[in-house]
Amino acid sequence: MTRRVLVPVDGSELATRALEYALDVHGDDELTLLYVVGEASSMMGSATSLALEDDVDEAIAQEAQEVFGPARELAEEYGVEVGAEIGLGKPASVIVEHAENHDVVVLGSHSSGLRERLLVGNVATKVVRNAPVPVTGVR
Amino acid sequence: MVSALVIGGLLVAVFVGFNVGGSTTGPAFGPAVGAKALSKPAAAGLMTIFFFIGAWTLGRRVVDTLGTELVSQPGIFTLEASIGVLFFIGLALFVGNYAGVPASTSMTAVGAIAGLGLARNALNVAVMGEIAIWWVVAPIIGFWVSLIIGRYFYARLHRRVAMERSEPPLVEVDRSGAIPVPRTEETTNRRELFGVITVITIGCLMAFSSGTSNIANAIAPLVGSGVVEMNPAIILGCVAVGLGAFTIARRTLETMGSDITELPLTAAIVVASVSATLVIFLSAIGIPASFVVIATVSIVGLGWGRATRPVSVQGAMSGDSDVQVSVGGLAADDPDEEVPAIGEEEAADIPSAGDLFDPGTTVRVIAMQNLVPLVGTVSAYLAFRFVPIWGF
Repeated sequence: MTRRVLVPVDGSELATRALEYALDVHGDDELTLLYVVGEASSMMGSATSLALEDDVDEAIAQEAQEVFGPARELAEEYGVEVGAEIGLGKPASVIVEHAENHDVVVLGSHSSGLRERLLVGNVATKVVRNAPVPVTGVR
Repeated sequence: MVSALVIGGLLVAVFVGFNVGGSTTGPAFGPAVGAKALSKPAAAGLMTIFFFIGAWTLGRRVVDTLGTELVSQPGIFTLEASIGVLFFIGLALFVGNYAGVPASTSMTAVGAIAGLGLARNALNVAVMGEIAIWWVVAPIIGFWVSLIIGRYFYARLHRRVAMERSEPPLVEVDRSGAIPVPRTEETTNRRELFGVITVITIGCLMAFSSGTSNIANAIAPLVGSGVVEMNPAIILGCVAVGLGAFTIARRTLETMGSDITELPLTAAIVVASVSATLVIFLSAIGIPASFVVIATVSIVGLGWGRATRPVSVQGAMSGDSDVQVSVGGLAADDPDEEVPAIGEEEAADIPSAGDLFDPGTTVRVIAMQNLVPLVGTVSAYLAFRFVPIWGF
């Protein structure tokens, strides 16, 4: 039985490691990347910059492509095809929402710097606590 | 002994002023320098001049509030205590810069002085309450004004400001005569000149507003302790700010480490105008302003207002053909579906870029900005209460 696996990515080293693990273990399953656009910045400037674009969709797709590009290359090395989804807003809630259509979530057990901790909190913990499906945390 | 303490106090005040100059020049003149409308030394010069004008005119009112009114007995501002307060202001700002957590210098200064007041049982609660109320009200005003601008006027403003130009320099200074005369380059058209004048003016306005509000952070404890008179203190503070503007600000101007300077030019102008106006108003009534918080909510207001504007979708998402991307609610339209005529769609069908502005995230960001002032307040209170040099 192929399982549907959701892999949130954000271009960070830890997320890449989680993806590597997913490709390794779930290579025969149906993998879907998820990127949440609009990372919180110290004065909310990045979200506003996106919102002010003439073509918001285009800007969002472009930002996501920067993360999906390398992730896809990595998947190609493993010979695995992956799908991709984009979410907007709070990373943890978006991941939990998208998890509903999947059987398992594989993500980095994020513990980045103090600033990120303050800005977005610990995403992995929130996902583990709220996701409707099993979550694999990669360290 | 006393004179050594005085020199120590002056040095700490200069250090705070130096940091204010370093950190304010970037947000104020970043857009102008980025658009190649100003050189960095020119930006530092303008920063110093307008900071001084602001400090000299309205800034003294805030110095009065912080230096004499916030504490019920001016006697607690001993020279040692003043140095301690300045030390905590400087320390909190340093930690904030180091961790990349932006914080309002004024809030930190008020916090440190309030910490001293609390430890000595001499905090003027009425004044503190008035300040705190304005810290809530001013951001709310900034949010709504920016939201309305973002929703209804941004597109029009953006068209007027549109100033795509990379060729240096727009204005040439003709030094052939006795007096240097700025002359427009032949290729500069009037519209570009208008844009250049706008960004420089906004920079000067921000420098002025910073002067009105931030001079107090560097000198209020010293003026309160009566070590230095108001006017010499203002001059000293401004020299320190100028020093910071000419030296460490070069780096902030280059990296543009502030979120304001990363915004599109039009947005930066809107945010700067709204925030600077509010800060100047607060200074005029003697309230130390929380620029970082005001600017942040102004940014959120502008972006959210723009994201939720009632316009029609231009078309279905183009997307790369090899990537099957579905954007949350954005991809509600089927690509094959007929694109509705402009204006036909209901507001509810608009890609909801508003999701970018999660209230929880915004609250978190603001809370984070209050962290440094909070740390300043608590550590000042604890130190003044229990450390033997200051304790009783």
